[in-house]
Amino acid sequence: MKLNRRAFVGTGMAAASTLGAPMVHAASHGIPKVVVVGGGAGGATAARYIAKDSAGEIDVTLIEPTRSYYTCFFSNLYIGGFWDLENLSHSYGKLASDYGINVVHDWATGVDRDAKTVALAGGGSVPYDRLILSPGIDFVDGSVPGWDVSAQNAMPHAYKGGSQTELLKAQIMAMPEGGTYVMVAPPNPYRCPPGPYERISMVAHVLKANNPTAKIIIADPKANFSKQGLFEEGWQKHYSGMITRIGPDFGGENVTVDPAAMTVDVDGEVINADVVNVIPAQKAGLICEAAGLTDGNWAPVDGHSMVSRLDENIHILGDATNQGDMPKSGFSANSQAKVAAMAVRGALTGSRVFPAKYSNTCWSLIATDDGVKVGAAYEPNDEKIASVSSFVSQTGEDVAMRKATYEESIGWYEGITTDMFG
Amino acid sequence: MLGAAYGWTARDHRAQELVALTDRLTQLEKRNSSLQEQASRSADLHARLSELETALAAALRDAESARQAALVETPAAEMARPAPEPVVADAAALDFGDPEKGREVFAQCTSCHQIGQGAEDRIGPHLNGIFGRRAGAHEGFRYSDDMKMMGADGLTWELANLDAYLENPKALVSRTRMNFAGLKDPQDRSDILAYLRQFSASPQNIPEAAPTAQPREVDLSPEVLAIVGDTDYGEYLASECKTCHQQDGSDKGIPAITNWPTEDFVVAMHAYKRQIRPHPVMQMMASRLSDEEIAALAAYFAQGE
Ligand SMILES: Cc1cc2nc3c(=O)[nH]c(=O)nc-3n(C[C@H](O)[C@H](O)[C@H](O)COP(=O)(O)OP(=O)(O)OC[C@H]3O[C@@H](n4cnc5c(N)ncnc54)[C@H](O)[C@@H]3O)c2cc1C
Repeated sequence: MKLNRRAFVGTGMAAASTLGAPMVHAASHGIPKVVVVGGGAGGATAARYIAKDSAGEIDVTLIEPTRSYYTCFFSNLYIGGFWDLENLSHSYGKLASDYGINVVHDWATGVDRDAKTVALAGGGSVPYDRLILSPGIDFVDGSVPGWDVSAQNAMPHAYKGGSQTELLKAQIMAMPEGGTYVMVAPPNPYRCPPGPYERISMVAHVLKANNPTAKIIIADPKANFSKQGLFEEGWQKHYSGMITRIGPDFGGENVTVDPAAMTVDVDGEVINADVVNVIPAQKAGLICEAAGLTDGNWAPVDGHSMVSRLDENIHILGDATNQGDMPKSGFSANSQAKVAAMAVRGALTGSRVFPAKYSNTCWSLIATDDGVKVGAAYEPNDEKIASVSSFVSQTGEDVAMRKATYEESIGWYEGITTDMFG
Repeated sequence: MLGAAYGWTARDHRAQELVALTDRLTQLEKRNSSLQEQASRSADLHARLSELETALAAALRDAESARQAALVETPAAEMARPAPEPVVADAAALDFGDPEKGREVFAQCTSCHQIGQGAEDRIGPHLNGIFGRRAGAHEGFRYSDDMKMMGADGLTWELANLDAYLENPKALVSRTRMNFAGLKDPQDRSDILAYLRQFSASPQNIPEAAPTAQPREVDLSPEVLAIVGDTDYGEYLASECKTCHQQDGSDKGIPAITNWPTEDFVVAMHAYKRQIRPHPVMQMMASRLSDEEIAALAAYFAQGE
């Protein structure tokens, strides 16, 4: 580990400043430096809140390779034809122009935790007093035998935003009449617990309109899934006969794929498919592992401030963390970012720090105007972030309420994307 | 020697293979019969479901025509008589007050609301059948957006929430069009509710008969209203609101919370906290806020950004 990290120590400026001024408050001038890796739901929110609330007292750098962030949230609505691709795309322009954040479009390739620098793929490194990592997820190698990232064009995951979503949608629209779509659903824990099932609903919605004899098959390693009663009620109501789910009792956990032949083998039965949406098992974004901050697949954090349990100068947010009861969602990452931002400001500038509170609500669309939601409030204890109260939509709700729930989700999308990008 | 051993092994392999194949066959047969069973169960359930749906639709039609008949045919004089003793009895929950006195109290409402035979919408909607009616759902009347939202959130008028609405309309519906300060005397309210209730069909079946539906006071003590909020704390707490509520004050799908008079805000949050207002997210968010935290939020939102 040490060797690895040493290998990434940058050249020039960072190294010099490390030697020259054993940092209390960073590099060349007195302003403390925060570096945020990953400009998604967690990272963009954290960067914006720190820059906004410290009003120039903290220097914020955001490292994010893509120039436009495509949200995963609502990407299913794009697949369902309810939302345009452009609506999913957000630029980092305002974070730079309105909040003074130094946005660096590059990959972070490693962290030197002793020197407190982040190495960049494009060369060089960036020093920090506090580092925030919110890199999202990567996939566990070999979790679906036959699939690896090189097969993601033949069998897309569409579980990271942007081109993958577009690809999956194009493949669905190109399915032959009466063709077969197969989803290989992921094991727990994974990003957005209702996500795969909302996707099934949206795939069924477009196919019902364009290709009503098409078949949808889910091979699922989990006995149960999020909002199951609500989804199953909705599938029965809107897409009766289109969707078959093969759970673990029928071999749904024993799946291999052959991307060249476009087949899926579910417990010995070979399915010829036209679209195969493989959502593999997940783990923390690779940078967490490279920085030596993971324990197993995820990065453990203390829920009082989202600080890493392995490094007191690094906070980790969102999907990459192992924090306790919160689901891996954009809402959760955004909620965690505000707690971390407050803690980081408190540590660097002495601003007031209040007890952490968290919340999450995940909306899902089942069919036109048929929205449902699930949510909970959370508070940390020393062991984990624990759920303190929760709710879920009920089966049998009337049309007006479901419509209001859907409209509410659109409001939430506006709210959270503004909260992330200004 | 070797050959014999080899032959034996091969046989052994084949035997094993046979066993494995037989196993697989039994498995497949089991799965097949279980699938068939599922299919027939699901067919049964479908049939049962459509029977029930038909029965339900018929029952709903009957109930609606009974309601219409009750509203249209009963002469006004008869309607004013006390309702028959409710069948579902929970004496405390159904302690309604005096409908005759209620009619007198209602006099102050009649400039906007009509009730009884031939009642029509005026400035406010007519109030026939108000018990059990979804808020903001009476066809043809132009409600405020907030009232419509409450209806969509699931607010159905029954004893407890009508009582709360009469006590302080804004506790339930912040920007209600009903320009009325509220009836502070609990006796007046229960009298008026007793009066209104006579114009709702089959009052013994109205939802407030559930023993849990006790009227609740919504107005807050002066001490709670007087708490001066900590704006810094409010700012942190408010960051949680901004995940959903738009910061530019627009109200696409989710109402705006900017420019909200402090007291209205406080009263509304307490109404969510006590679950007088519907909406599971807001009830959950409010349920964990202390009086001080609600005051802190109100102070923060009052100062604008
Ligand atoms: C189909 C689908 C539907 C969903 N629907 C919802 C929903 O309705 N509601 C909801 O709340 N959530 C939803 N989610 C979940 C949500 O998208 C994620 O939980 C959320 O994005 C997590 O935020 P994050 O900050 O942890 O990661 P991300 O938002 O994924 O951000 C990570 C960022 O880090 C960058 N990055 C990664 N590694 C590096 C590196 N080494 N250097 C620099 N940058 C790096 C990436 O480019 C990326 O931009 C959905 C997800 C999916 C897949």
